[in-house]
Amino acid sequence: MHTRLKLIVVLLALITASAGVAQSSQTDQDKEDLKMAALEALMHAPSEQALPIVIKVLNGDNSDDLKEGALFILSQIDHPDATATLLEFARSGDGDLQLEAIRMIGINGENEAMAGLIDLYSAGDEDVREAVLEAYLIADDVDGVFNIAMTTQSEDEYEEAVTILAAMDAHEALSKLREAKGPSDALITAYIISDNDAELRILALDGSDTELQIEAIQALGIVGANDADTVLVEIYRSTDSEDIKEAALEGLLIGDYDDSVLALYRASNNVAEKRDLLEVLVVMDSDSVMEVIEEALAGDQ
Amino acid sequence: MNDDEQKLCHELDLAREIPVPADMQRRWHDSIDRAAQQEYSVRQEPARPFHFTSFFWGAAVTAALVAGIGIGAYLTGGPTTIQPNSYVVQDISTVSGAVPGAFTRGLQVHLRDTQQNIASMPIDTTEDRTLLVLQIIQQNRLFERAAEQNSSDDLARVLRAFEPILLRLAANDIAPTDAQALRDQLAFELKIMLTKLERDTSKDTQST
Repeated sequence: MHTRLKLIVVLLALITASAGVAQSSQTDQDKEDLKMAALEALMHAPSEQALPIVIKVLNGDNSDDLKEGALFILSQIDHPDATATLLEFARSGDGDLQLEAIRMIGINGENEAMAGLIDLYSAGDEDVREAVLEAYLIADDVDGVFNIAMTTQSEDEYEEAVTILAAMDAHEALSKLREAKGPSDALITAYIISDNDAELRILALDGSDTELQIEAIQALGIVGANDADTVLVEIYRSTDSEDIKEAALEGLLIGDYDDSVLALYRASNNVAEKRDLLEVLVVMDSDSVMEVIEEALAGDQ
Repeated sequence: MNDDEQKLCHELDLAREIPVPADMQRRWHDSIDRAAQQEYSVRQEPARPFHFTSFFWGAAVTAALVAGIGIGAYLTGGPTTIQPNSYVVQDISTVSGAVPGAFTRGLQVHLRDTQQNIASMPIDTTEDRTLLVLQIIQQNRLFERAAEQNSSDDLARVLRAFEPILLRLAANDIAPTDAQALRDQLAFELKIMLTKLERDTSKDTQST
């Protein structure tokens, strides 16, 4: 009996304590929500009044969520102090707040803060570097990303920068990179992403590196520019390399150029080659495939 | 970008030539038209060509199709071309440096729709969430381009900044708590942008 009473007392105490914790946690959440609402309301205030309050929130003992919200508001305030504060947080902040401050510099887009990103990139860890590239992307700052691609010694960083340039449709920068650094897998992927058939055509016809040439030929089929089939047929016909021929055929297959494959089929006098081409036509589900099969069976071709 | 995002972007890119389903286009145009209706009778300028390719995650346009919507398009009709609404993309040179009202209102509708979609987004079912997020990205891209064409670089930057967050939200491997954090962040930023746009619109109205 005594033990049961003790147990009941302990249980009651636990229930009361957990209710207290839940209530306290709810109160904290309410406070946080209210602060967030107050932060939102600052957008109605003139910048000169809002700015010191936002900075106070950032420097105060507030949650990261609230501070991240304050950083976003700062990015929307057109004032030199707002930019300076963002840059300060991007330099001295840590963890998610630093990354958010960098993102906000991109959103803010102000030249002075943007100019500070390159130092952050050089000194930062992988997350910071990624955030800086993202900020350049947000601000549509092609030069910033191009400079990183040109100067980095790291293959991974180069690939990241090239991918961002592709996302930005920075055709000129990507062409310059090929000229300066030579062709690469990363560039071919970037040309696919940015629909840059002109560059792919150059690489598809460049026989200095067979592997890259094969990739570029297939990529040309993926991008599927207007006359990509003409280029692919030309490559197919002019090469003695079976690998290149196969790549060109794959390019035609990927690009769904069945008319061109049919033309190659009809022009060929080599039975083995015709068999391969027929297989491709079948895979492509070409409209002419039945006609070709009948011709083959009749021995017309 | 992590592997998941890269894979997603790659898939989007491969599928970018798939036509956009008519019902999806209709939804865009409906939302834009709602906002622009008032101005229609006052100003109607010819639509400028809208380049809707490029930008790899912008190719989310086609991703939605990859994810399933495309099946509907394939079954229901032939290819159609995305055309920008002329109220959204207009020639800023005739508006003496101001952001056109129709564009602003269209953007407000987009931001509000996004806000609602984010709020009602399923957290646990990855496929539904991914599909919805890709649709949001698709619309976001439209307005980002429109902002660029309307010389609203500041708005274009904010819209561009939403995309990496949306992409993270669309990823298959995101934890529910992380997804919730991203939703909260987006909800806050959307709200701020709406407030800012409303404030600016209100100022313009008062000054005229």
